[in-house]
Amino acid sequence: MNFLYFDPGLGAMIAQAVIAAAAGVMLFSKNVMYKVKSFFGMVKDEDDNFDSIDIEEKDRKADDQ
Amino acid sequence: MTNRERHEASFRDPSGYIIQDGDVLRRVINPIYFDQYNALKEKGVFEALQKKGLLIDHEEESASDSEIIITPSPIPFITNPYEWCFEQYKHAALLTLQIQKYALSKGFVLKDASAYNVTFHKGKPVFIDTLSFDFYEEGTPWRAFKQFIMHFFGPLVLAKYHGTEVLKMMQTHIDGIPLQLISSMLPAKTRFSSTLYTNIHLLAKLESKHSDDYKAETKIAKLSRKAQSNMLENLFGYIRKLNISEATEWGDYYDKTNYESESFQAKKSLISSWVKPLNPQRLIDVGGNDGTFARTVLNDVPHVIVTDIDSNAVEQNYRRAREQDENNMLTFVSDVLQPSPGIGFNNTERNSLIDRLVAYAPDVTMALALIHHITLSGNVPFDKSAGFFAKFSKYLVIEFPKREDSWVESLLVRKREFINHFDFYNEVEFEKGYSGYFSIEKKEQIKGTNRILYLMVRK
Repeated sequence: MNFLYFDPGLGAMIAQAVIAAAAGVMLFSKNVMYKVKSFFGMVKDEDDNFDSIDIEEKDRKADDQ
Repeated sequence: MTNRERHEASFRDPSGYIIQDGDVLRRVINPIYFDQYNALKEKGVFEALQKKGLLIDHEEESASDSEIIITPSPIPFITNPYEWCFEQYKHAALLTLQIQKYALSKGFVLKDASAYNVTFHKGKPVFIDTLSFDFYEEGTPWRAFKQFIMHFFGPLVLAKYHGTEVLKMMQTHIDGIPLQLISSMLPAKTRFSSTLYTNIHLLAKLESKHSDDYKAETKIAKLSRKAQSNMLENLFGYIRKLNISEATEWGDYYDKTNYESESFQAKKSLISSWVKPLNPQRLIDVGGNDGTFARTVLNDVPHVIVTDIDSNAVEQNYRRAREQDENNMLTFVSDVLQPSPGIGFNNTERNSLIDRLVAYAPDVTMALALIHHITLSGNVPFDKSAGFFAKFSKYLVIEFPKREDSWVESLLVRKREFINHFDFYNEVEFEKGYSGYFSIEKKEQIKGTNRILYLMVRK
């Protein structure tokens, strides 16, 4: 069991199930939009340390599959 | 043996604590955290994050049955969340999510997501709490999620709707902005955004509904690893796209002023010719706007801080420093007339700006086009502002705009019938006030202006 030194909030633990479900839908539709846009060549590649949540190249590729 | 003086900000986490060993900060790890520490080390999590520059480097000094001591790389100056511009705040939030997602992929989690885990170093945000990781238990939600919303997501979204001043609320709320308050401050239309509705409004509602479940009777929902990743990724995408549009107080200051470009150059070359021979290791430009003048000496000084009251100027400076890879430039927001106080337990958890400046001990302090604001907008007498600078500065490069200067004129005109109360604003009184703390080494009128530049040294 993880020990805990502050209250994580019970509501917050429950809420995450809903938040994650909504996020899943959002990401799915974003992914579809991305594919549509890249089909028409409308995607710009940005170069920034914060362009992706994944810090390793292989993670990025793994997620795209 | 190490001389152990426990750091005032280090008591919340039982996993370990920070000690001040002479000039060096070290981190002591308690046996309760040995399993986590060793696993993180063996699985290469520390190494991977440090290699990417996301986590502060550390050296293991010693390891015994009762404690492990590590020494993190020193950071010359710690900035706090309420001193960051919007872009800095955003990057600190994104960094936290990147680390959480990476940790999750390796079987760990961030057990807390406090904004104080991040500070700025070498031009980038860096995670400084090496003991914030814990083992991930399959199927559990992220325990630090609520803290992430209160420390990062909430303040950022509030800043979008109310401007960057809102970020200063972190100064009065060391544990983050309460969820109910975030929810109530957001416009009604945010309820129609699925990200904002679920991450803030719904969260606030569920939190207040379950706040008196003292016996922890309600069953905690399971959350798969993939679902948690989705949640993190969606937050990351949303924060990355967050923007604010604010008119700047000084952002285009240099376009607005009546500076001739010739005198602008004259001021620049005067500054660099005075500062370079002093060979400073640390320099701070107080009221330094977007860092234009600090940049004249940036290549000659190993560590340069530029601070300004205007969040947008700080933001421009931050972006520029990142674009040009100026790793020795640190920028943050501060108001000379009300510097950040010491906050938290005992008023010592987060040091006041003055305490941090005294510890930083810059060799050179620059105060350009600032004294008329301190004196005429803040009504601070000359000897008081001199005392302020003398607290932390050895050399002081200070610009005094005379009464004939257009900015001073406009500040004086605004005093209306009280204009006579400010007759003391002149060269003679200025030098008299500062002579209590400093002696004047050099003095020169900037060509084509009504401004005098002084080089002073503390008595």
